[in-house]
Amino acid sequence: MAQVTLDRVEKRYGDVIAVNQVSLTIEDGEFVALVGPSGCGKTTTLNLIAGLLELTDGDIYIGDTLINDLDPKDRDIAMVFQNYALYPNKTVYKNLAFPLQMRKVKKQDIDARVRETARLLSIEQLLERRPRELSGGQQQRVALGRALVRNPRVFLMDEPLSNLDAKLRVQMRAELKRFHQDINATIIYVTHDQLEAVTMADKMAVMSGGYLQQYDAPDVVYNHPVNTFVAGFVGSPAMNLLRARAAREQDVTRLSSGDGWSVPLNDALASRVATSSTDEIVVGLRHNAIRLVDGAATGAVPATVYTVEPTGDITFVHARLGDAMIVFSVGPASTLAADDQIFLQFDQEHMHLFDGATEQALAR
Amino acid sequence: MSAVESARPARARKRRKRDFWSIGGWIFLALLLIFSLVPMVWMFLTSIKTQFAAIEYPPQWLPKHPTLDSYRRLLSPSNDFGRDFLRWLGNSVWVSTATTILGVIIAVPAAYAFSRFRFPGRNGLFYSVLVRNMFPAVVFLMPLFVVMRTLDLVNTHWSLILTYLTFGLPLSIWLLKGFYDNIPIELEYAARIDGASRFQAFLRIIMPLSAPGIIATAIYSFIVAWNEYLYAYTFINSRELLTSPVGLRTFFTEFVTNWPGLMAAAFIMSVPVVVLFLVLQKYFVKALTEGAVKS
Repeated sequence: MAQVTLDRVEKRYGDVIAVNQVSLTIEDGEFVALVGPSGCGKTTTLNLIAGLLELTDGDIYIGDTLINDLDPKDRDIAMVFQNYALYPNKTVYKNLAFPLQMRKVKKQDIDARVRETARLLSIEQLLERRPRELSGGQQQRVALGRALVRNPRVFLMDEPLSNLDAKLRVQMRAELKRFHQDINATIIYVTHDQLEAVTMADKMAVMSGGYLQQYDAPDVVYNHPVNTFVAGFVGSPAMNLLRARAAREQDVTRLSSGDGWSVPLNDALASRVATSSTDEIVVGLRHNAIRLVDGAATGAVPATVYTVEPTGDITFVHARLGDAMIVFSVGPASTLAADDQIFLQFDQEHMHLFDGATEQALAR
Repeated sequence: MSAVESARPARARKRRKRDFWSIGGWIFLALLLIFSLVPMVWMFLTSIKTQFAAIEYPPQWLPKHPTLDSYRRLLSPSNDFGRDFLRWLGNSVWVSTATTILGVIIAVPAAYAFSRFRFPGRNGLFYSVLVRNMFPAVVFLMPLFVVMRTLDLVNTHWSLILTYLTFGLPLSIWLLKGFYDNIPIELEYAARIDGASRFQAFLRIIMPLSAPGIIATAIYSFIVAWNEYLYAYTFINSRELLTSPVGLRTFFTEFVTNWPGLMAAAFIMSVPVVVLFLVLQKYFVKALTEGAVKS
């Protein structure tokens, strides 16, 4: 196992920049998720680490070795692909044995390692089958086994769970996480599903437009998104982002939307608003940072219920606030119905503030 | 579960059998079979007649005195007749085999490159490969003859091998490119990460998966080269270098045509093609079902 370091890594296709000056360090034994919407450069970054694409600029190290110009086979990595990429003309046994054969491992050692790996993943009874005779979950295990059989320094995984059905995905998610803990592997995991990243990874690297937006532990990314993109991408339902204008009158800073609501800010928030480059502010509120109140409460804003989504233990309410549509949550006993006129209060302890021009979070 | 699933299509098939179109289809196929088989049967029947019985009118449908004389003469190296025929057969085997092997050696990497690499002029080159097939073969007869004369290859087997390559390659490259396009690139990625070089990944993973395509193109190249007459007739003028289709022509002489000999020779010539096809067809189907790529 080893540390992986990306230093100002760049990949261009003509004028298109797929990966732009990405720098990050994945510590030995860490599980890092590269996450972002499709086309954000996460898979390209993974392929650069694997050596399947050539770097345009920058350096990649595994441990202390500069691997920029090494062939994939010489990087001592293993990869699990979205479509598993099992060799269709080989049995499961031969699929697992292939990486060892290519590295000229002795025959009896190959047999021992293949059987040990198969036992670990409970696929011993499948060894003589061919990939097309396996279910999706079994293929997934074999793909994992083929990566595992060799003890590589780094595991690369490209959306390995996205071809599974929902139930199996949850199960494999838990198994993968457990597998990471058991063998203390360095894993770089690409996914477009922020939930997978949040639930499994030690750290998540959020990417957008080829840029690394934020690289930190999931709870930090969730609680302190550095900009509006990360704020809107991480968390489900997505954070409500509302544009407003800040104004100071009689020692009180107020945020007003210009389309029907206005709230006074507490001193802590007011001092952060003061650091903004413009008086335009983006307010970020998660569904649980908006409370249902009566009209007399301080900072109450009027809204209209659009639709109600009960999920069992929690009910999400979509509501019109001025021109914007927001989502907040209430308990399952709520009697709210569409078109109800309601009042909402923003939880200022859990309010995120972003500079309206740069879209960066305002420092605490 | 599987019993229920397999029972249903079986019943559907039974019902379809009584269908009008299905019966029409069978009749059509039967007619097609007769159309292609009768000449071959007639060829065989004539080949076991005596010279006299072969030209008798009304014809003997079944030979009254069947004889393998013609075969004996053709296959025995002790007379001029057999010596020539065996040499021509050998020439045909050599030319067709060389064409097939060279064709595969060139078509496989070419198709792979067209499928996997992006290089300047890729599309133009790919379509230009097909231009050859837009013209009838005879159009190229004189230009190729001039080329072969310049290369000093006239009256050699290499002139035929090179010419037949230009016939077979376009289709081979197109067919194989289709195969490579359908093999997910991740398989190669996986192999390269698992420790194979690019070439090893191609050899050990991609080649076996494209085996059906390679076999199909090989059969095609072989049969085209085996049957070709026009170029072989034009480029070769030494009697001992002739290929068998041209050689057969010598059975027609000014005064008499040796029909049983001609038919026996034609029958012998068709044997390798049929055998090759039957043997490889088995492998073809096997490769298709077992090596299927799941997308």
